[in-house]
Amino acid sequence: MKFAKIIFIIFALFPFYLSAETAEEQGLRIAKASYENGRGFTDMVSDQLMILIDPKGNEVTREVSGKTLENLDPNDGDKSLTYFKTPKDVEGTVMLSHTHISDDDDQWLYLPALGRVKRISSSNKSGAFMGSEVAFEDFSGTDYRKYEWKFLGEEMENNETFYKLESYPNYENSGYSKRISLIDNLNRTYKVDFYDRKGELLKTLYLEDYVLYKDKIWMANTMKVENIQNKNITIFKWLNRELDVGINKKDFEKSSILRLAD
Amino acid sequence: MNLEDRIEIFGKILVNHRIKVILGSLLIIFTISFGMKFLETPSGYRGFVEEDFKYYKDVLDLEEKYGNIDVLTFVVKPEKGNIFQKDVLNLIHELTEISWQTPYSSRVSSITNHQYTTVDGDDISISDFVHDVDSLSTNEIANLYNAAVLEDAVVNFVMSESGKIGLVNINLEMPEDIAFQEPISFAWEQKNYFENRYEDIFVGVAGSAQFSHNFQSTSESDASKMYPSFLLLIIILTYILLRSVVASIISLIVIMLSILPSLGAAGWLGFEVQPPLITAPIIILTISLTHAIHMLSIGLTNMTEGMTKNDAIIESLKINFVPIFLTSFTTAAGIAGINFGDIPAYSEMANTVVIGAGIGFILSVTMLPAMFSLLPINARKRKSYVLEVLKNLGELIYKFKERFVIVITAICIAVFSLLPNLHFDDYFSTYFDRVPEWLEVKNTVDPEFGSSFYIFSDMQSNEPDGITNPEYLKKLDDFESWLLTQPEVADVSTISDVIKTLHKNMNGGLDEYYAIPDNKALIAQYLLLYEFSVPYGMDLKNQMTADKSDSRILIRTNNSTSMESVAFNARVDEWVNENISPFSTNGVAGIPIMMPQLFVENTRGLVIGLLISFTFIIMVVGISLQSFRYGIISIVPNIIPFVLGFGLLTLATDMVTAAHQFAVLISIGLVVDATIHFLSKYKKALAINLPPREAIQYCFRFVGYPIIVASICLFSGFLFLTQSMFYYNFIIGGMCALIIMIALLIDLLLLPALLLIFGKKV
Repeated sequence: MKFAKIIFIIFALFPFYLSAETAEEQGLRIAKASYENGRGFTDMVSDQLMILIDPKGNEVTREVSGKTLENLDPNDGDKSLTYFKTPKDVEGTVMLSHTHISDDDDQWLYLPALGRVKRISSSNKSGAFMGSEVAFEDFSGTDYRKYEWKFLGEEMENNETFYKLESYPNYENSGYSKRISLIDNLNRTYKVDFYDRKGELLKTLYLEDYVLYKDKIWMANTMKVENIQNKNITIFKWLNRELDVGINKKDFEKSSILRLAD
Repeated sequence: MNLEDRIEIFGKILVNHRIKVILGSLLIIFTISFGMKFLETPSGYRGFVEEDFKYYKDVLDLEEKYGNIDVLTFVVKPEKGNIFQKDVLNLIHELTEISWQTPYSSRVSSITNHQYTTVDGDDISISDFVHDVDSLSTNEIANLYNAAVLEDAVVNFVMSESGKIGLVNINLEMPEDIAFQEPISFAWEQKNYFENRYEDIFVGVAGSAQFSHNFQSTSESDASKMYPSFLLLIIILTYILLRSVVASIISLIVIMLSILPSLGAAGWLGFEVQPPLITAPIIILTISLTHAIHMLSIGLTNMTEGMTKNDAIIESLKINFVPIFLTSFTTAAGIAGINFGDIPAYSEMANTVVIGAGIGFILSVTMLPAMFSLLPINARKRKSYVLEVLKNLGELIYKFKERFVIVITAICIAVFSLLPNLHFDDYFSTYFDRVPEWLEVKNTVDPEFGSSFYIFSDMQSNEPDGITNPEYLKKLDDFESWLLTQPEVADVSTISDVIKTLHKNMNGGLDEYYAIPDNKALIAQYLLLYEFSVPYGMDLKNQMTADKSDSRILIRTNNSTSMESVAFNARVDEWVNENISPFSTNGVAGIPIMMPQLFVENTRGLVIGLLISFTFIIMVVGISLQSFRYGIISIVPNIIPFVLGFGLLTLATDMVTAAHQFAVLISIGLVVDATIHFLSKYKKALAINLPPREAIQYCFRFVGYPIIVASICLFSGFLFLTQSMFYYNFIIGGMCALIIMIALLIDLLLLPALLLIFGKKV
């Protein structure tokens, strides 16, 4: 009986052990796990479609292809190359980005019609690009270190239980006051609500078509962003995504894009 | 059985069943009045136009493509010097940041968050135009002006060319059917906060959002300020005219009860409480008051002459029933003519008054006699100086009838010659000039920026990615250059300005490259680059479509009159027709195009409405008098007040605005009333074989006093409307008061003389 009592007390106290972790710590833990879930790809190539849909249902499609190099330095961001394919007028335009965790990103753009590479430094790129509903910070924002996190609890949606996290950007010039993410039990982000600077729901991001790469990395091949305020929709699709293909690291150096202009 | 006998029987039934009549009336009145809770909050300038009005549809089309056109603007002006001073820039910076918190805001732009590009070879750096104000030296701050004045997107959009005024523009994305209350309250909180913190800096709230909100705020302030004091005025007036407390109470109850169901009916019909509707209760009250005064004063007179209370009121009913019916009818017919206009807010006001006139008539001949019969009334005999004066006047007119006609005719001809100085026109921007806060902001903004209002043009390339075509951009440039030559235009911003600036920045920032390059691919690539480096809320979605086929031109306007704007719009269409192909556009759209076109269409409609109403009224007068000759004679005293009124108007202005036109339709049916009373009495006098001289005296004795009293009531009511904060209400009130006073003089001085000369044959 005594033994049973001790067991009982241990079990009864168990939840207290769990709650010893604060909501902030728990949020950070889940966000970190979710982030790390997508790491370890080394490098990546893919074709991408960006589909813009206006409230009347008119569609515009833009095509790009991209290469990404994972930065194994945990204190710095990844490097990526984007090749623009359509519309025809921008074909051949190349963008090289070096993202950073705490500093502004570096960005070079090769404009074939000008025959030159332009380096663009901008402290504030929180605007939606190319007429889409997506801003740069939505991509770079996947790095959990750019936010303060808070675990809000669990939530059911479509018969599935998700972790519900709230996050606040800890960098200047963000277009958002907060984000609310739903993350499933495989640590995959399912949905993110973005709240604008005045605290109103601005848009919702849905991550779909998750594929397991290299038996350990989950990547969503469809991203759908619905702007609640202006009723526009943007869909990103990744086609032919391949990981760990052994891209030459030098391709991602500034010198390689400068060479395009010669 | 003739009409008078029927009315007598009706009167007896009323008196015998007075409690049932009163309770029945109250039941019906409160049922209808219940509709008041459905009265709708005004939707601002949008509620001023019909939903299918062509020029409003143009605005809606534009909004569907590029987002809402409404802007809320903070106007920042230091007492001394320009905005390039530490505290002013700090204020603008803080105000810009807090403006993102404005409910329904989508973009915020000001001199501080303007995206400024600096170029160093192939390095392009984009940052806020003003940041870290405190770290800047006085010299650096002063130099900012020289840089700012070179920026297309700054001058005339977020800063005046002189640098004296800075603006913080907040674009609003309002959901349908939501009023501007929330963003405006937020803006006023900020204005008060910042004005307190920075004592020597003026902060004002302007923009189309504030303009639109003024419709709501003036309605509210008019209702809360005007109604109580108007009621007091009516109480005093009623007592002076009736000299009986109980009779005054009866008339007050009846006129109040005619307002409630009118507004209730307006609610049931889904009307909006726009500023014009605020005038409806005052007009209804005034009209009902004249009926009540007619009924009660004759009732009281009858009592002083020894009749019992019930007989006195039945006799009064017999005398007044037909004239009250006729005058209510002509009043309603005149005001109903407003429905031929194109401004729903005025049609709603007119229809509310028409309903009120109907209810007023019904109550005057049912509830009023019933209450007269029920309540204890003591009639005191009045000494009447007025009657004495009128008697002498009658004699005077008889003696000098030709001279009266000649002198008044001469005056009319003289004043008539002034009429060509008038023309139909107005300034929509003056609507709220009587609101001190708005006027202050307007007087600050307009001299430096032209006006607070924008117009837009949707320029279509007719193919995807067509806006990167150099031909398209050059056409935009041509259009912009042409627009800038127009006096109605203060400044223009197009996507071609963005391309030219990019071209310059991509070529080392050299001014010689401030031009449109000839290479479509290059332009597309510039735009791609630009679109990758825009901050939050500054993307190009409000300037171009997602497929880059169409772009929007933004035009800041100068204050122009409606006719100037309409002519400008026609010139734009002409230029577009001749020059725009192979591209296309529907011309320009926006508040400064829509409101003037509304004015023109409304004027056209009201002229027709006036002709129909006037013809109808004259026919009613002729038929009721059963005389073609009197019908014709009645035209003279009913037209002269308008000729004289508008002649006198030339002393104040040369513009006949929509408000003046409404005033004509509102007063025409009221002016006729006195003529009806006078002519019917004159005819009656001749019918009992009185010679013309006696007949005139008969008229003066029986209707002279009521006509004067009714005119004083109407005059006071309309004069009271000039207290309104809404400029049109002010004009309507002043104009109607003037016309009614002139009409009274004409009815007393000219009409008798005319009847003596031309009215002999019956």
